[in-house]
Amino acid sequence: MSALPLKAGSGALRRKLPKLRLNPVFLVLALLILAITWYNPSFIEPAGLMNFLRRAAPLVVLTCGQLFVLVTGGFDLSAGSLVTLTVIGGSLITLGDPAMTWPAIAILFAIGLVAGAVNGLVVHRLKVPSIITTLGMLLLLKGTALMWSGGSPRGYLPENFRAFGRLVWRDIPVLGILPVAVLVLVAVVAIAAWLLHRTQFGKLALAIGDNARAGELAGIGVGRVRVAAFVLSALSAVTAGILIGGFAGVSVDAGDGMELQAIAAGVIGGVQLLGGRGTVAGAVAGALALYALFTLLNFIGLPQPVRESMQGVILIAAAASAWRQRREG
Amino acid sequence: MQGISKAFHGIAALDGVSFDCRAGEVHAICGENGAGKSTLMKTLGGIYRPDAGVILLDGNETSFSHPVLARRAGISIIHQELSLLPHRSVAENIFLGEERARFGFLDRRAMWADAAKILARLGSRLDPGLEAGQLPISDQQIVEIAKALAVDARILVLDEPTAALDEAEATRLLDLVRRLRQAGVALIYISHRMKEVFDIADRITVLKDGAKVATCDRAAVTPAQVVRMMVGRELSDFFPPRPGAPPGEAVLTLEGAGNAVVSDIDLVLRRGEIVGVAGLEGSGKSALARAIFGDEPFTRGRLRFASRDGAFTAPRQAVDAGLGYLSDDRKREGLVLNQSLRDNAALVLRGFEPALAPPGSGACTPERIDAQLRGVDMRAQSFEQLTVELSGGNQQKAIIARWLCRDPRVLVAVEPTRGIDVAAKTAIYRILRDFTERGGAVLMVSSELPEIVGLSDRILVMAAGRIVAELPAGVGEEEVVAHAVGHAAAERAASAGTAP
Amino acid sequence: MSDIALSPVGRKAFRLPAAAIIALISAATFVGVALATGEAAQLSATGIGGLLQRMVALGIVAIGQTLVIVAGSIDLSVAHLISVSAVLASYVMQGSPERILPAVAAVLAVAALVGLVNGFLVARLAVNPLIATLGTGLILKGLLSATFDNFAGSVAPQFQLFAYGAIGPVSFSLMTLLILWGGAALILRRTVFGAHLYAVGGNAMGARLAGIRTERVIIGAHVLASISAGVTGLYLASRLGSGAPWVGRDGLYDLESIAVVVIGGTLLSGGKGGVAGTLAGVFLFAVLDAAFNMIGIDPFLKQILRGTIVVASVAAYTFRTKAFVA
Repeated sequence: MSALPLKAGSGALRRKLPKLRLNPVFLVLALLILAITWYNPSFIEPAGLMNFLRRAAPLVVLTCGQLFVLVTGGFDLSAGSLVTLTVIGGSLITLGDPAMTWPAIAILFAIGLVAGAVNGLVVHRLKVPSIITTLGMLLLLKGTALMWSGGSPRGYLPENFRAFGRLVWRDIPVLGILPVAVLVLVAVVAIAAWLLHRTQFGKLALAIGDNARAGELAGIGVGRVRVAAFVLSALSAVTAGILIGGFAGVSVDAGDGMELQAIAAGVIGGVQLLGGRGTVAGAVAGALALYALFTLLNFIGLPQPVRESMQGVILIAAAASAWRQRREG
Repeated sequence: MQGISKAFHGIAALDGVSFDCRAGEVHAICGENGAGKSTLMKTLGGIYRPDAGVILLDGNETSFSHPVLARRAGISIIHQELSLLPHRSVAENIFLGEERARFGFLDRRAMWADAAKILARLGSRLDPGLEAGQLPISDQQIVEIAKALAVDARILVLDEPTAALDEAEATRLLDLVRRLRQAGVALIYISHRMKEVFDIADRITVLKDGAKVATCDRAAVTPAQVVRMMVGRELSDFFPPRPGAPPGEAVLTLEGAGNAVVSDIDLVLRRGEIVGVAGLEGSGKSALARAIFGDEPFTRGRLRFASRDGAFTAPRQAVDAGLGYLSDDRKREGLVLNQSLRDNAALVLRGFEPALAPPGSGACTPERIDAQLRGVDMRAQSFEQLTVELSGGNQQKAIIARWLCRDPRVLVAVEPTRGIDVAAKTAIYRILRDFTERGGAVLMVSSELPEIVGLSDRILVMAAGRIVAELPAGVGEEEVVAHAVGHAAAERAASAGTAP
Repeated sequence: MSDIALSPVGRKAFRLPAAAIIALISAATFVGVALATGEAAQLSATGIGGLLQRMVALGIVAIGQTLVIVAGSIDLSVAHLISVSAVLASYVMQGSPERILPAVAAVLAVAALVGLVNGFLVARLAVNPLIATLGTGLILKGLLSATFDNFAGSVAPQFQLFAYGAIGPVSFSLMTLLILWGGAALILRRTVFGAHLYAVGGNAMGARLAGIRTERVIIGAHVLASISAGVTGLYLASRLGSGAPWVGRDGLYDLESIAVVVIGGTLLSGGKGGVAGTLAGVFLFAVLDAAFNMIGIDPFLKQILRGTIVVASVAAYTFRTKAFVA
């Protein structure tokens, strides 16, 4: 619950301290880490942190992708089911054969590309709100996953596929251990940061989210940017799926609800809900904070499903404060 | 209303205006855009609270904290943008919020009957069961007026009621107004159409720049005098001098162009000139600008731009070909408020750079952008400032800079100095003139007569979707208005007035 | 601000209402597929009865969704509320007929409460209705899975009459649907509240200026929507004999209720539409469902098709929008 009061006040804080450009989410994250360490002192050791990052990696990766959609003013509710499809598809394409891993990954990314493109085109061309479009895509992907696996996924993923999520290199200086997942995490974050903050595309995405009409009149290809955003979200979902396949095994609800977690994480990290503002650093911190919150709740002993309710509360609180800011601002 | 003052963000919209109206009279209010007419009426209607002054109803001081209270007190405003529910019936619209009911159930028969009665009072035989959105505008207006009568309006404000009507419908409306006057309603009639005003009004009040110029009986004044009161002002010379050289080759040509709003547009825009397009509300001048830019494209006729033949069907095409567009609503259609000045200025360029290139590369280098911003005399603490924090004038300059970065051939500017203070206006005029001196051309659509008259090399006057006159530089504002209001013959002789 | 004169259209031409067209096409499809797949038995009284029975669950919740969409809002929490209602009903009842009444009362009370919360978030806190109801749905989902993970309790056998009992050829549940349909139609067309629903959905600012208490109207609409979701939950509990936490989700009630409302001609932005159209949409979906069964489509493929149909049907109405949509 510690995320909430600070979130509601963050808008006011930011206005009262204009010089202090620090995103409050970092404070929240720091507090949560301290709290967890109190329960589990070994958390703060390199090995503990690395493990934490390894397990949080799928959510962080997914949030980085969702960030692009959020920043352009939409929502991608199909990301979770794409994660599931990746896991199931991975096992069905490879059939446990390590030689098929790379082709499988290529196919899965291709599927993600198509799914994202369809999302973007339906929203831009057919003007169907992204919530409905991506909900429909969720059904489509889920149905595909079920159909493909005949309803009950069997089989397993080959070792090298699972390596992404599972493999941990030992005896690394300073860090002690280095999970491959953390490398993937760093790579994805770097790419996302580059795309959003260091390319023309990123600036255009932020502009479109803020004022698509102004963008259109300035001659910007709004549709292209939007489709690209959805494609990025889908690709990040496939990546997250590959990671999850590594440590969770094959199941029908591997990715269930992850998109809502990603949205909540983005909002905690300071992403503006109708578009126009957001940073990768904030989104990453938001995802880590959310995951830290769940970890903390686990230590305290609160049951898993409370997680979902909390997300609901966070979503609403974030939306309520965001809207108030928009109206006053 | 006595001594009403109202300011927005420090700019006074009304300054000590006093106004009164009697039952059974039609009192017309005339004034240019920005004179304060709608602010005054919105204050009367409870939408704004006055900063100073009082409102007296039947001699009693009243104030309205909410528009509903004004409505209940008998004041109804018929805005230009009708606020009917298009999918509901006439009767349902008339009784919106005042539905006839028994124990929560609508008494449709009573509503239908009462609606018919009210409509009959207005001389209309409209079927109260028709869907409001399907009616022609003139009938929709009648429904709006009926809505006012349903709450026993004693004061009815009509804001440019004939803007969207044709001759026959306008005549019907005026008859209706007479009928209401006879019934004892006080009518406030806002219009710049002299013919109607002099047809119907008992008294006329002229507002200018937020202050009242005069209130006179209709019999005591002529249309020409009223027009002069509306526009007459000291013309300070803050317009840049016109170039001596004649304009260059044609860069934009329209032949017989038209769409749903405008028709038979023949237009030639030459390098080096500023062409002003003037007209009243509803004349189609903004629609013309949008059509040229490809936003609500032409469906008929020909458009030639430089060597390219064919109308633009989307803004991106126009931008690519070398057009720029300054919208009249910079908040909604121009600025990306949450981004910095520099980013806003770079927006157009960005759309044409490779997507994955760094943001400061290619044509978007900070040096180039900053140079453009300095070129438009941008007054800001730093170019990293968010545009939402800037004044209107600086915001507009940022958007101009954005286009200049792309070095366009033609700039289409709609209301380029709306909501901007005097100093910034001067700067913008100079920027536009410099642009044409470098070989560009400007098509300027504006409701502000001083800039039409002061800045344009040629003036096109539009009415009802067509170009009705082309005037050279040097004409007075009255003549422009005269053409726009349809008073051409009488005013042609009087153009010796004010030369800029 | 607008130069654009609205095109003067004369009187409304006589057009068959969209609802009737959809109903006719659906009926024709049903007959066609039945004959084509040799399942002519479907065209018997029992077959048609079965078809109509398919309409009940989605129909009841869609009626509530219609009210809320007409008012310009939307409700994405219905699926989880249905699950909660079903589980709560059977949990409270524990198989004993004396507890039918308390169970029903509890469900309706909880549903009304959820509706109040939704309405409050949307009307008072001005939270985007999609986010607000998505959020409450999540909260409900979490609370439910925290307390139950399987069928809970059981429904009294007498209560199952609701789902299975009938008078002649018409089942009680179908009657409930028809009564609710009638009630909603009455509200929309003949009450002041209904007129206000349309007004708020059509032009909230204009409604407020006319003196309508828009907040109350929106909250009222949400309460009605949630109550109809509660009734759906009761029906499902009655049919299954017990309530399980996944009934709402599996039935896709959130997305499908929105889809049938839109297909029926109600504008997503509010201000226009009605329950007749919604029920035509429900009929269409029931026919599609039956047709898929007759053709023998893989149930998972069915899910894919349903997702596609939902988006396509909304797209059919939205593709003409001029503004940018995110």
